[in-house]
Amino acid sequence: MSAPITHLLDGETVTAVAGEVWSALVGEEEYLLPGFGPVGPAVAGPSSWVTVTGPWNGVVVLTCEQSGTADLTRSVLQMRADEEPTEEDVDDVLRELANILGGNVKSLLPGPSTLGLPETGTPPVRADDEDTCRVSASWRGHDLAITIQGASEAPATTTEVNK
Amino acid sequence: MKILVADDSRVMRQIVVRTLRQAGYDDVDIVEAEDGADCLAKVGTESPDLVLSDWNMPNMLGIDCLRALRAQGSSVPFGFVTSEGSPEMRDEAAAAGALFLIAKPFTADTFRDALDPVLA
Repeated sequence: MSAPITHLLDGETVTAVAGEVWSALVGEEEYLLPGFGPVGPAVAGPSSWVTVTGPWNGVVVLTCEQSGTADLTRSVLQMRADEEPTEEDVDDVLRELANILGGNVKSLLPGPSTLGLPETGTPPVRADDEDTCRVSASWRGHDLAITIQGASEAPATTTEVNK
Repeated sequence: MKILVADDSRVMRQIVVRTLRQAGYDDVDIVEAEDGADCLAKVGTESPDLVLSDWNMPNMLGIDCLRALRAQGSSVPFGFVTSEGSPEMRDEAAAAGALFLIAKPFTADTFRDALDPVLA
């Protein structure tokens, strides 16, 4: 069993990764204002996540305050300010952001690992413990959180992908 | 000039196409595939000049699609655009015959650097 995530990653690194993802996908002039680490406050809102399976097993979860999801979707899809994204648009955008965040987090972890396919809904996280790294951030006044949390065993994914 | 973009995420296909335009590939025809199996089939029917493929997709992984293409004798130029860019994956991609691996997030400059030598 690998070391807990707090021994493998720090909040500053996760914030830096998230900042790069934001400027590339959400917009060059879009900035995430960092919050607290290594375990920031939880954020209530829609979540998307990917599982990581390898020496370290767990999930990388993106949670966005409900008020921010439409704005985020419009930015990623470069929609007009008066366009209302569909639920499918919002889900797709949240999934892809989690996928890229997860891929980048995975590349910072030891050993070969496999990334699951991104999902949305209620994330498989439990109470915070030593195997939890959460950074909170704010984008355009909307609260966001990226939670990286270990699983006691290899996490189940709805679609298992073998590398 | 035709580029086949394979990704199970509609959003990512849209972003890849947008980045291609931003990188200056305005006049290329784009064909989209939604997983590795679809990509494999469309290389046969669409004869693209380049394939840009995600790695992690349902039905067939991008790497398995590339291996299947090479096993069929196809030499279509093939590059990955994927959220994972570990050294092991880069080695695996190169060994299977991929020309490059672009890790997400990427910029138009990243695309130009990887694609210009292939499409020139």
